[in-house]
Amino acid sequence: MKSYINILEVRDLCVQAGGKNLLDHLNLTIPDGEVHALLGQNGSGKTSLMMTIMGFSGYTVTQGQILYKGQDITEFDICERARLGIAIAQQRPSTIDGVKLRSVLLYILRNEENPEERLVKLAQTANMEGFLDRSVNDGLSGGEIKRAELLQLLAMSPVFSMMDEPDSGVDIESLALVGGLINKLFSPDEKRKAKRNSGLIITHNGKILELFNIDKAHVMHNGSIGCSGNPAIILDTISKYGYEECVRCIGRQ
Amino acid sequence: MNIINENNNKDKNDILDVIQNEEDSKNLIEPQQIGLADKKALAGVGVLIGSESRSATMVVRDRQPQPIYTLNNSDEFEMLPIFVALKRYEWLEKQYSFKAVARDFDEITEKCAADQKPIGFFIHVKKDAKVILPCQTAMYMASNNLTQIVHNIVILEENSQLELITGCMTETSVKDGRHLAVEEHYIGKNAKLTSTMVYSWGSGVMVFPHTGTIVSENGRYESNYISLRAAKQVKMNPQTYLNGKGASTKYLTVVLGTPGSFIDTGGNVYMNAEGTSAELLHRGVCTGGIMHQSGLVIANAPCKGHVDCASLLLDTAGKGYVQSIPGVESHHPDARLSHEASIGKIAPEQVEYLMSRGMKELEAISMIIRGFLGTGIEGLGAELDAQIAEIAEIAGHGEK
Repeated sequence: MKSYINILEVRDLCVQAGGKNLLDHLNLTIPDGEVHALLGQNGSGKTSLMMTIMGFSGYTVTQGQILYKGQDITEFDICERARLGIAIAQQRPSTIDGVKLRSVLLYILRNEENPEERLVKLAQTANMEGFLDRSVNDGLSGGEIKRAELLQLLAMSPVFSMMDEPDSGVDIESLALVGGLINKLFSPDEKRKAKRNSGLIITHNGKILELFNIDKAHVMHNGSIGCSGNPAIILDTISKYGYEECVRCIGRQ
Repeated sequence: MNIINENNNKDKNDILDVIQNEEDSKNLIEPQQIGLADKKALAGVGVLIGSESRSATMVVRDRQPQPIYTLNNSDEFEMLPIFVALKRYEWLEKQYSFKAVARDFDEITEKCAADQKPIGFFIHVKKDAKVILPCQTAMYMASNNLTQIVHNIVILEENSQLELITGCMTETSVKDGRHLAVEEHYIGKNAKLTSTMVYSWGSGVMVFPHTGTIVSENGRYESNYISLRAAKQVKMNPQTYLNGKGASTKYLTVVLGTPGSFIDTGGNVYMNAEGTSAELLHRGVCTGGIMHQSGLVIANAPCKGHVDCASLLLDTAGKGYVQSIPGVESHHPDARLSHEASIGKIAPEQVEYLMSRGMKELEAISMIIRGFLGTGIEGLGAELDAQIAEIAEIAGHGEK
């Protein structure tokens, strides 16, 4: 593998779905070891960006490139991207009748020395032991879905994690648990002792961002990144003046 | 334990003599080898030769008069080739033979009834006997273009219990053949029969099984039917009669339809006594060919019945279809009957979800099919589970 500085580089990305432009010449760079937050109004294209980076169908790239560790992955299928170390915790993931969470986790952990044991440990960490033999995402509450998604990400131990509103629908008590799981995902591990894993998090709520370190925040507007900067300052502005101020500010630039 | 090996070139009468002249039928002949290739083929339909996890084994190979069989008979449990049993027990012919399936039900039953050399098995579980380990039988067609006419009778007396595994299959090189069968089950008061049948046929084989089951008071009949390799034509129409108070049945039918196959899994359950109940579950995956799922529960007493048909229709390039007709018929105001049916495809977002966990597309499809087939069915046991996993694997990846 050639050396790289940026874990992710999105260059001039245009994406369509159903004839509608979702992303419009979007550029985004995330250096290796950094975690960025993605903010913006509903419909600004945050989820579309994540789904496109993961490679989901229905998001047609009409222009631009996605580089992961310096490699162009724009044409890679979802599985290939996942196996390279990219993972996503979706906001509203599919329910799959009959497919147990345990089966998916055992698949993910199939190359581990002792998958069963590791599965149980991970499930305990995410407080999900009681859900292992239920169908994936079936009948789960908002908070349970987030934990189920994060549990799978933990099992995958990805290099680059994307999370779409990991805090939505999570009650205050569980927020600390979810924050802890996210922190664990990004923490240096045996493979990378001195560097955090990287990630991108969509949120509307500054609270979750207090639970782990965010290096940079981006505000999306009309399918592209309108503004990037210090997460604390951007969040402070949004909480005081709302996204309207961001929109005005982006318009002035 | 007895085995008469396929290599023993004895005719029917020799075998009759062997069995009838033996003083101690518990320890007739030392076990002998069944060929490795046959062993492997049999294991594919759940029939494990030489396994300690089975109480008894009988393999009927082709139409040769001598079956390969292992007997583990005791005072409580007896398994015999049907022609031996019919000769030995006069009451069998009088009280049981063709009482759960009418001789003149149709052309197939007439053929079976007229056959002078019926092959098949007789199983008799005596009162209060609980056979702990499953007993297994196989109807094995190893020669091309053969007609196998089978008659099986299973009797469970009061309070007894048996798990029966039957593998019906052709050797892999066999393409054509006909398998006509009559199978009769008599389940006594408080007795329970679990029958698991696994089919794996050559692509040109025609299969016409007729099963009749009579269940007495508080008896239970569970039927698991798994079709791995579809025949050219399979038409099954099992008839179940819940005649005793509180008698119950559950059917689980799991079928993989492939191009060129026609599979019709139907069957009627007659609930003739108070407190009876029936549950019919059909699960199908169609990758081609024609699949008919039906099932009719008929209420003649206060009872409960439910029929549930669900299928996945995968891409068949317009060359296959699924028809599901779950039926309920009530002749009694206190009967509670319901049915449901659904046919769908695999949702792409589900496949992509699993791919985002690192699965290849076909792995994801197999896992979804496996999940679909197992929905609502718990505690299948490892072997049945493995068979269903194999269907998912074949459906997801194409014929092995």
